[in-house]
Formats: sequence, structure tokens, C-alpha cells
Amino acid sequence: MELEFAVTAVEETYKIGELLGTLVNPGDIICLIGDLGTGKTHLTKGIAKGLSIEDHVTSPTFTIVNEYTGRLKLYHFDVYRVNDPEEIEAIGFDEYIFSDAVSIIEWANYIQELIPRNNLTITIEKKPELGDNYRKINMRYSDKRYDYIKEIKI
Amino acid sequence: MKILSIDCATAAATCAILNDDNVLGEITYNYKKQHSTVLLPIIDELFNNVGMSISDIDGYVASKGPGSFTGLRIGLATIKGLSQGSKKPFVTVSTLDSLAYNLAYTDGIICPILDALRDNVYTALYTFNNYKLNRITDYMNISIDELIDMLKEKNSNLSFVGDGVPKFRERLMQQLPNIGFAPTHLNLAKASSLGELGLKLLSKGIFDDLYASVPIYLRLPQAQREYEEKMELSKNE
Repeated sequence: MELEFAVTAVEETYKIGELLGTLVNPGDIICLIGDLGTGKTHLTKGIAKGLSIEDHVTSPTFTIVNEYTGRLKLYHFDVYRVNDPEEIEAIGFDEYIFSDAVSIIEWANYIQELIPRNNLTITIEKKPELGDNYRKINMRYSDKRYDYIKEIKI
Repeated sequence: MKILSIDCATAAATCAILNDDNVLGEITYNYKKQHSTVLLPIIDELFNNVGMSISDIDGYVASKGPGSFTGLRIGLATIKGLSQGSKKPFVTVSTLDSLAYNLAYTDGIICPILDALRDNVYTALYTFNNYKLNRITDYMNISIDELIDMLKEKNSNLSFVGDGVPKFRERLMQQLPNIGFAPTHLNLAKASSLGELGLKLLSKGIFDDLYASVPIYLRLPQAQREYEEKMELSKNE
């Protein structure tokens, strides 16, 4: 299954995240893929808002993972600085992602072999020819647990 | 000899104070992984209710794994801190040993299984004879199917114990004859069981080095992960 959104402002990216955050279920694994500055962290902040998380969400580039508690627990990973999937495995990655929490993994493509197949992959792309703030947000999944994304309307 | 024992290798946060003849007190919560919030309060409560303080303790026992990565680090870090601060020795014992010891005096093979996720288990095989627990294999991180294949060849009564039991009970029952499972009250890591094994070591003067002791995590061997990766890729082609 595949769904695509076109947005022209960062607020819309945030809004999509927020709607997604109201829909996610325990154990969901969301992979975020996109170049620097495409809005992965904004989308995550929206998801956190949708999960009623009050804490300020920051990128865990150096901490690898941040934990938040709202309607559900949220683990926010950023594996940009991980050189080898083994490093992330060594922090007990499986215990995080196979839990009742929602996991968001930025740069999940860097640790592909550790990502279970039943994930929701969100790819954000710039299209400079369509404007500086234009983003194509593609959502792809094979497990029907993520069918709820069809409810996202902007 | 009085010892304090803790085990955080599984969902159970468990803590006990033992002497040579008795378990003086034990507190176990087997509800979600909440070691970081409950461990220190239960240690404190135990000391208060048995009328002892840390200065009465002659040695410490911690789980060395395998098990939850985070849990192992919380448990071992806590025990190392107490050991260093009070200048008393500590020793580590595998949670697999302590689970097998829950089923002391069982005939045949005792097989503790801990859920290692992705259909894998942390396991080892044991027998109990001459009033003694004997581990007859290495500690392993293997798929449940590999374990079943290994056990099929054993031709022996099999008793399973550990948090992998609820998850794999059906599969084990379908594929293996002559098997049994630990009763619920023994089917969890107990600091008293770990502590008794550790106390025996400490009283023989066996203890861990504060700086060298690390948990055994038993991650999948690199070769196996690369193989799985390859299989995954060929599936997607």
C-alpha cells in the first residue's frame, strides 16, 4: 500500500504528523527517510503532539534515542551518526521496537537489516522545481495494521 | 554469610536478602520492565523490613545475563555501586542457571528459555543429578526452531521454564514429546534462586572483578545476521 501527500509549508508537514499521532497504535514502527532539512523532525514533533506529548521534542542525533510519554510511549531514534548497525543493536534496539511503544526511526535506511518488515515507511523528498518549501511525503506499508493512514486528510 | 541478590535480566525486578540457611526476605515485581523505577525502592524496603542495613551485607549477587540489555546494565551497575561503596565482593550468576535451579530435583533435561525476540531464545540445557545442577551446554542465543531440533535428538524428558514459555508453549507441545512446564510460581526469575547459587560461590571465595565484570549479551553472531540479511534481500528481489 502506498499513499502520497504534497505539502507546500512546514506547518502542513507538522499537521500530517499530528493526525498520524492521533491514529498510531502500540507497537507501531515508523521509519523516516529523507535528506537533511526535509522535515523529518517536524513530522516527528507533529506525531508527538498527536500523541498528547507535552515535552519539547528534539532530535536525538547524539543520544540515538529519546523517550517520551503521552497517550502512548514514544521512542524517537535518529541513527544518522550510527556507523554500523551493530552499534544500535548493542543498545538493546530490539527491546525498544518490539514493545508497546510507538517507535520512530529517522534514517532507518542506515540500519535496514534491523528493521522488521511490518513497518510504516515515510519518505520525504524535496522538489526544488516546485518551490523551496514543497515536499512530497510518501507513506508505504505492507501490514494492514497501518490502514488507518487513509484517514489522514489535509 | 549474608548476601543481597538482584536480578533484572527479564521483566521481573527481583531482590532478596539471604543467609546460609534462609531467605530473609524477597520482593519480586513481574510486571512490565520498570527496573529503573522500582529496584532501589525495593532494596530499601527489604533492608527496612528485615531490620538490616547495607553494612550487614557480606557480599552481593547480580545476574550476568543473558537477558534484557537495559535490565542487565541496571542490575549490574547497581550491584557494582553497592559493592564498591561497601567494599564487599560481588559475584555474577546467569539468570538461566537460576531459572534451571527453580526446577531443582527435576528428572531429565531442564531447559530455561528467555524470549530473545525475532523468534529467538536465550537458553542452555541442564540436568539435576547427585543433588547438583549441571549445565550441559553453552549459553546460547538461537531460534526456537533450532532449539526444538536440538531437543528432538535428546530422547529425554524435557522441562521448560522462563518467560519464553507462554510465547512458545504451543509450538513446543506440538513438536516435542514428553515435555512439561514449570508451575507459574516458579516460572520467573527469583533473586532468591540466583542468590543461593551466588552465595555458594562467594563462600568459596569466588567473586567477580569490579572493573572487568560485564554482562553476557549473547547477540546473534555476525555471520548469522549477515545470512539473514541476505535472505531478506533475496526475498525482496
